[in-house]
Amino acid sequence: MTARGPAPADGRPWPWLVPAVLVLAAFYAVPVADVLRLAFSDATLVRPPERWTTAALSALLADPALPAVLRTTILFTAVNVIALQVFGLLIALTLVRGEARGLRGMTAFRTLVLAAWVVPGIANGLIWQMLFDEAPYGTLNSLLGLAGFGPVAWLSDPEMALVSAVIANLWQGTAFSMIVFYAARKGIDPVLYEVAALDGASPWRTFRSVTLPLLRTAVAVNTVLVTVQTLNTFDSILALTGGGPGRATEVLALFTFNTVFYNLDLAGGSVLALMLFVVAMAMAVLVHGWLGRAR
Amino acid sequence: MKRLTLAALLAATPAVAQDLVTRDRVGLPDAPNVMTFRLTPYDLYSADAATAEHFAGLFTEFIRARPDWRIETQLQTGDIGPEQARLLQQSQAGRGPDCAMVDSSQLALFRDMGVLQPMNMVFSQDEVADLFPYVREAVTNEAGDVLAWWWFTDLRVLYRDTSVVPEAPATWEEAQAAARAAADAGREGLLFNAGRWEGTAFDWLANFWAQGGRLVDDAGAPVFGAGENRAAFLAAIAYYRDLVESGAAPARVTSITNYDAFNAAAAAGSAAMFVGGNWQYGQLRETLPEAQFANWAVSELPGPTADQRATGTGGWAIAALSEDPAKRALCGEMAKEIYAGPGNAYQGLLPTSAALYDEYDAYDGPEFDLFAEALRNGVARPGAAIYPEISNQIQILLGDVLSGSAEPEAALDAAFEAAKAAHARQ
Amino acid sequence: MRARLGDMATYAGLALLAVFFATPFVWMTSLALRTPAEIYRGAARLIPDAPTLDNFARVLSDPAFLVYLWNGLKLSAFGGALAVALAIPAAYAFSRLDFRHKQATLVAILAVQMVSPLVILVPLYRWMERLGLLNWDLSVIALYGALGMPLAVWLLKVAFDAIPREIEEAAIVDGAARWQVLTRITLPLARPGLASAFVLAMVTNWSQFLIPFILLERDADWPISVAIFNFAGSVSASTTQLLAAACLIAVVPAVAVFAALQRMIVSALIAGAIKG
Repeated sequence: MTARGPAPADGRPWPWLVPAVLVLAAFYAVPVADVLRLAFSDATLVRPPERWTTAALSALLADPALPAVLRTTILFTAVNVIALQVFGLLIALTLVRGEARGLRGMTAFRTLVLAAWVVPGIANGLIWQMLFDEAPYGTLNSLLGLAGFGPVAWLSDPEMALVSAVIANLWQGTAFSMIVFYAARKGIDPVLYEVAALDGASPWRTFRSVTLPLLRTAVAVNTVLVTVQTLNTFDSILALTGGGPGRATEVLALFTFNTVFYNLDLAGGSVLALMLFVVAMAMAVLVHGWLGRAR
Repeated sequence: MKRLTLAALLAATPAVAQDLVTRDRVGLPDAPNVMTFRLTPYDLYSADAATAEHFAGLFTEFIRARPDWRIETQLQTGDIGPEQARLLQQSQAGRGPDCAMVDSSQLALFRDMGVLQPMNMVFSQDEVADLFPYVREAVTNEAGDVLAWWWFTDLRVLYRDTSVVPEAPATWEEAQAAARAAADAGREGLLFNAGRWEGTAFDWLANFWAQGGRLVDDAGAPVFGAGENRAAFLAAIAYYRDLVESGAAPARVTSITNYDAFNAAAAAGSAAMFVGGNWQYGQLRETLPEAQFANWAVSELPGPTADQRATGTGGWAIAALSEDPAKRALCGEMAKEIYAGPGNAYQGLLPTSAALYDEYDAYDGPEFDLFAEALRNGVARPGAAIYPEISNQIQILLGDVLSGSAEPEAALDAAFEAAKAAHARQ
Repeated sequence: MRARLGDMATYAGLALLAVFFATPFVWMTSLALRTPAEIYRGAARLIPDAPTLDNFARVLSDPAFLVYLWNGLKLSAFGGALAVALAIPAAYAFSRLDFRHKQATLVAILAVQMVSPLVILVPLYRWMERLGLLNWDLSVIALYGALGMPLAVWLLKVAFDAIPREIEEAAIVDGAARWQVLTRITLPLARPGLASAFVLAMVTNWSQFLIPFILLERDADWPISVAIFNFAGSVSASTTQLLAAACLIAVVPAVAVFAALQRMIVSALIAGAIKG
């Protein structure tokens, strides 16, 4: 069929990839190498590395706080990744349905979700801190009181504080998944839905047999992206709880931030930075395997 | 000649006065000499219009007397830790500002890193001698050089609603009893910072210091978990824990990471007492209705006994980071003529030298007598590089103990080990 | 009838979610309308006794605030555009060409996305200093381009995959070069994907804090995401009401850009549907 032009399946990829690779290399190569170097040194933020050592590595691995921090990180990330996607998918599909039916208010709702997304992270923490205020006049507790529910220890109870941090993150982060799923859902050929309707498939069956399988790539990609974003979230938690009470909401990213900027421990911070990267990478490989299976 | 013309120009046209202070400079845009100054957003560029205007006036007057200078201003955000780390980074790389505001707790670190330049030409020996001892120690080196000017200090005091707690509690026991009584009457007995932030450790440390406790030894190594210090540390934890367990303090204290929470509780009439900063007195006066404000009084923080009292003292310093003598002098003069004197008087901030309290009428209020009295028991945070980690550990420990997630002894052991491990790697 | 019930369920679900998403904004608006005397009144006074627009006026009359807004818009929009521009050829190659290690390369690019700015912050500062790129808006834009590009590659690959190859093959048969096919046929069809990728990159940039904070030393260069904290404190008075007003205003430009692009996304979809 293609007697003249090149077939779709051949061609050299590198000319197409060069701009992307060059820019990444320019900004990342040296700093990433530097992080590796610093992780095995005795550098602090105010003192250049003087010798090679694994002291920072072994000190951090032996740090009794690390298991708790990792546990909090995994819990916070896992719950967020699942909830963000369920919310995002639910909203995206509802919006698509609403638009197809010509319902009013869909744009307004979508704009509202997006507005939450563009609030700077630290401001997000400050706002929710006021909402979660447990004083007798606190916003959410006052509202719950009106509805006849008892006060909730939103931020002072260690376990509840993590839930509250998840809520604040959901408020801000859902928009991202919503856009990804909305775009992917819009990309599905409408003919498929027409066929399903002709076959008399129930909405649930249509969702299971048409929507979900075709959104599989989007879900996989989104899982990776949302995981990385959530793993790296620290500014909103910093403003919301500072990581407390105790270490109840101290995730790995916040731990890293504190290590570098309050403790000035650059070597330790670099070790944690590598750890953060390894955790994210492990997630990506898992999803990659899943993607490979799906093909 | 040029200087004269400039001065005449400045004096002659009032319209120009407006332009002398902009968002990124003080002085004429083409002034030949430039000093860069990194400041906090609380005064010249305060979000509070009246404060900003007043400081613009002070700066205008200051620069009019020095028409061949221009101060290029750089803001730092209120996020102290990263801001100060960034400032230190830049200074070491030789890209820092000529003059900057440095948090008093960071002075020792900046001094040890050798980035602070003397401003001896501005401050006389008498002026240095008149500084409060903990201030003098922090801003001078062994050679007697003035390496920074700590221009205001602050301290922690006990606020109480006298309609609920008429007498100022002097001991922990009295404080707990009064708070219990208030709680029984439906109020929040005693509020204090116990969330995860610097204020928590700083406010609580007064209880440790009141017993003579020491966080670090002379070499800067942590010693708070051993010997007499350990006993003092555990006693101070027990005081806070009993407050929460007896209901004298609400469980929500472990979520308080902001002094504003106390202002809000006072305005709502929910709190009977709180451990707050001296600057909150002015804030309460501004925000409470007059009749309500009249009920509020301040007293020294309670101690284990009425004779054992302490309070944490903080504040900000201005330091020269440039080696140029002219810039160092200008930096010092600015600290002295704008901030330490009239600037403090306007903001109601506490000067660091006794003489200034008499010089300004702003300090005539009865609260300032109490503040001056309490300052005699003032303790500054140790100027040791390990302090931030110790503070971090104390915040974690208090959060864990007060929320019932850890026992005091075990929590102290963990905190002490962590601080020692961090110190060993510094 | 069944569709009617479905509509009602749709509205009920969205209403519930709308309450969740709107509550913080309602609260912020309440704060932004207060005088300092009412700021500590809590939620009991959701509607202030003496509502005032002073806070908005104060924030907007500060010339610096508008500069911060402009900086934020400039850095995030150009940074987002650069990310998309860099991603287009790469995504096209991943979508249309077959080559060895394709999947691995794709994952490798995504792996870069996992290096968060926090992880390399200090080395990055030193590296940029060595290159003499500090305090320069173009370097922040370039960095945003690098940061946003991996994500854009993935999104655009998905968008390109959805465009039938037959359309392109027809053009190739007519003798067009691949880059011509890309610019004349594929990109116009991929407009919704391009717009989504741009929006995602731009908004991520809009709320970036660490990078501008560390790379831009002069506050006149700061975007609003950094500068907003100048409204966060004062020794003598509460400024919560100003912070709330500043936050609300800061949200507007990003939402406006999105609303504009949204129309484009929708219209492109309709155009595509007619053609298809």
